[in-house]
Amino acid sequence: MKIVLKNLTKVFPSRNKKSNDEVIAVNNFDFEIPDGKLIGLLGPSGCGKSTTLYMISGLQKPTGGQIFFGDDDVTQLSTEKRGIGLVFQNYALYPHMTVKQNILFPLQNLKGADKMPKEKMLEQAYHAAKLVQIEDLMERKPSELSGGQQQRVAIARALVKMPRVLLLDEPLSNLDARLRLQTREEIRRIQKETGITTVFVTHDQEEAMSISDMIVVMKLGVVQQIGEPQSVYDSPANLFVAKFLGTPPINVFEGEVKNETLYIGDEAVLSVPGVASQPVTVGIRPEGFQLDPMGPLKCRLSNVEVMGRDVSIVSKHENSLNPIIRSIINADHKVDIASEFVSYSLKPNKVFLFHKETEDRIFF
Amino acid sequence: MPEQMKVMNEKDMHKTTAHQKVFRILGQGGIYLFLMVMALIVLFPFYWMIISSLKSLAEYRLSPPTFFPMHILISNYAEAFTTANLGRLFLNTLYVGVVSTLLSLVITILTAFAFARLEFKGKELLFAALLATMMIPGELFTITNYSTVISFGWLNTYTVLIVPFLVSIFYIYLLRQNFLQIPNELYLAAKVDGTGDFKYLWKVMVPLSLPTLISITILKMMGAWNSYIWPRLVTRADEYELITNGLRNAFTDTTGDVNYPVQMAAVTLVSIPLFLVFVFLRKYIMSGVSRSGIKG
Amino acid sequence: MVESKQQWKAWLYLAPAIVLLLVFTVWPIINTVGMAFMEGYSGLTKAGGEATFKIGLGNFIHVVGHPDFQQAMKNTILLCLFTVPLSTILALLIAVALNAIKPLRKALQTIFFLPYVTNSIAIGMVFAAMFNVIGSIGTRRPMIISYGVVNDLIRAFGGNWINWINAGSEYWANMVVMVIYIVWNALPFKILVLLGGLQSINKQYYDAAKVDSTPRWRVLTRITVPLLSPMIAYVVITGFIGGFKEYTSIVGIFGENMGPAHDAGRLNTMVGLIYDSLEMDNQGGASAAALILFGIILIVTLINLQVSKKRVHY
Repeated sequence: MKIVLKNLTKVFPSRNKKSNDEVIAVNNFDFEIPDGKLIGLLGPSGCGKSTTLYMISGLQKPTGGQIFFGDDDVTQLSTEKRGIGLVFQNYALYPHMTVKQNILFPLQNLKGADKMPKEKMLEQAYHAAKLVQIEDLMERKPSELSGGQQQRVAIARALVKMPRVLLLDEPLSNLDARLRLQTREEIRRIQKETGITTVFVTHDQEEAMSISDMIVVMKLGVVQQIGEPQSVYDSPANLFVAKFLGTPPINVFEGEVKNETLYIGDEAVLSVPGVASQPVTVGIRPEGFQLDPMGPLKCRLSNVEVMGRDVSIVSKHENSLNPIIRSIINADHKVDIASEFVSYSLKPNKVFLFHKETEDRIFF
Repeated sequence: MPEQMKVMNEKDMHKTTAHQKVFRILGQGGIYLFLMVMALIVLFPFYWMIISSLKSLAEYRLSPPTFFPMHILISNYAEAFTTANLGRLFLNTLYVGVVSTLLSLVITILTAFAFARLEFKGKELLFAALLATMMIPGELFTITNYSTVISFGWLNTYTVLIVPFLVSIFYIYLLRQNFLQIPNELYLAAKVDGTGDFKYLWKVMVPLSLPTLISITILKMMGAWNSYIWPRLVTRADEYELITNGLRNAFTDTTGDVNYPVQMAAVTLVSIPLFLVFVFLRKYIMSGVSRSGIKG
Repeated sequence: MVESKQQWKAWLYLAPAIVLLLVFTVWPIINTVGMAFMEGYSGLTKAGGEATFKIGLGNFIHVVGHPDFQQAMKNTILLCLFTVPLSTILALLIAVALNAIKPLRKALQTIFFLPYVTNSIAIGMVFAAMFNVIGSIGTRRPMIISYGVVNDLIRAFGGNWINWINAGSEYWANMVVMVIYIVWNALPFKILVLLGGLQSINKQYYDAAKVDSTPRWRVLTRITVPLLSPMIAYVVITGFIGGFKEYTSIVGIFGENMGPAHDAGRLNTMVGLIYDSLEMDNQGGASAAALILFGIILIVTLINLQVSKKRVHY
């Protein structure tokens, strides 16, 4: 089932009645989510990603725009009738019901033609439980389960009625690091097995990148970029996206383009054919630096952190907009910690230029 | 010299800890003694009620009294039961108690739900106004309600004993607080699972608030059992009389030459259901009471 | 979270409560206040056009000037002044003691809560039995058959028996019995609240006191009571409100006479007075008395809040 969002907008009235500062949580969101894909909505808190998810679920009504499931306009349809599954951040399992009763609950609410006999319900509940591997826990109460197990129950409950759309709200944020890795693989597997169009919300870019077919990066209610994770990383549309994706984060410099050449400080660091002369903001991915004694970018060395396969070099430069510069270099290269300076040459495909005011990408 | 002083100090310290120990034990003993005496005083009326109900009238009048009946006389109970027509009173009270509790629960649940979960204009204001009425003594309402029920033609009916007290702001408040503690996500989850408001209320909120609902049920039942003033005002016929009024009317004389054994048997019979409730449902009563400050 | 565009739905849930409240709470407030200011008005006897009444303070003046009201006021205030401090202090001591022990705590706690689940009329009758004297005490040479268990105990310790509640008894003796009964009845709730408060006090304060080797009495007065002051304020307020509404415990002991046989009505209270006026078709007087009662409760509550604002230690 594809999901189409058309000019989706959500405006919250201001809390203070006298002032008129409304909050635009989501602004003109246009997107077609292809059938059977796993989509990650990504952004810092307050970017409107959760509001978008809640509008898809129907728990919040959009101020403007439309939502389609397939060809059905569901904009005015209430949550109960949308046939979606939603996994809440804190799971929201009914504490007084057993796991089995929790999973059965959505089925018992089906009405009319969808109504099914008891045996069919049980069969479906056990099927869902099997999918998330909790069939041994069916008689337990939620309070008797670990966080990871509760998460699985929540997913099973969301899946049991074979929803048209599966929505996950920060599904991994309440799990510890190890469980998070394991569970995200699990979500990926379940999504592939069921083929249900799935949208999940996260503020963790690594999480989104690792399992999504496509990611949507949002900021202050406005979509910044939509695309496959790798292509968004390799070709960010603006400075915000570039900064938001990647660990360690991208290094940002003040620079200037003169005669199709990029200068950082007084050094000509890269040739940028076709770019008009102007002051620019330069983003360089940590892996975009190459140790080169003759390299044009000379930084003051502060520290070298050994990470095994790679080393991470921490240095400083007066034109850097961040306090430190961090580069990732293959551990084969030896760095003399005692030396005062380190010099780099740059890999052109890891260097991005952005307009100084609009922060939009300037391609070269 | 300093060495010696240190030793002495240590000795002193041992002495004081020993002292403290003695004091502690004495103190602890004193505390127990105090509590035991107080407990005896608290229990004594119950004890007196029960042993008196088992004595013959002649034995009751002995001075000094016996602290355990010489001959246990059960017949007082039979006499009390018929004198006060307790069977009828039990049934009346039970009927009024059960019906008013059930109706009151339904109203309380619906109202508390609206205040806890639904959005409507003036919600906060209305709730504050309701809470404010709790300050007003009930007598102020009773005066008008008395003429109201007369004009409704409700005198001497069960209705008059049930309807005017169906809404309790305190119970609504209690339950609303409980409802508010249920995370909002459960409400949203239930919507996703295809549940409407009403079904969510009965399938999720009510089961999760069961302890509070049980507290309310017990307090409400106890209220019917102990109510005295209103029933006295609005019922004249025996057939609508409640237990407390019946008891008072059957034994109008409290002083003078009274047949106390029979009277105490009746009092015991009236108290037993309360004790049973107390023994089995103590924690619900206590949790409800500690938040209220009102009796019944 | 969820915008409910259907306000009427909420009002549907509220409807039963609202209807009942309008009839049995809102209307009474308006009507009772109104009647209190209508002289000579009785909602019960009004018929045709003969309702002759004028607006004024007549009801209040009449009620306040009436000896019955003054007696009831005196009784109510005396009962409050004796029972509230007495029951609060006793409850505090018992709660502190309960909090200081481990074995038997649960059992004792249960015993101390027992008077709460009683019928005040029924247990009042038990108290009456305990204080009642059987025999001819009115005559010059009394022939006593039974002194009652309380007098028997007094006599066993060498004291003289007292006519507590019978015909010819004195006012103070009646009062002592009432105070004992009301305190006995009021203890459970106060112990419950205070013990709950005690158990929520951070144990570290007591450890700190122990380190400073503070004696027990000082721990009680300097640490426990101040930290417990909100709870104490609460039981005092509810105690006063309950005291001003005292009625059934007197009916329990003295019957609807509201006094010993030779002087009926001597122990009447504010609430009793309101019901008496009501039964005598004097709704205006009853309303005025009820408003006065409300005023007193309001003032006591406000004073208490004011005092506890200054005195409550956090």
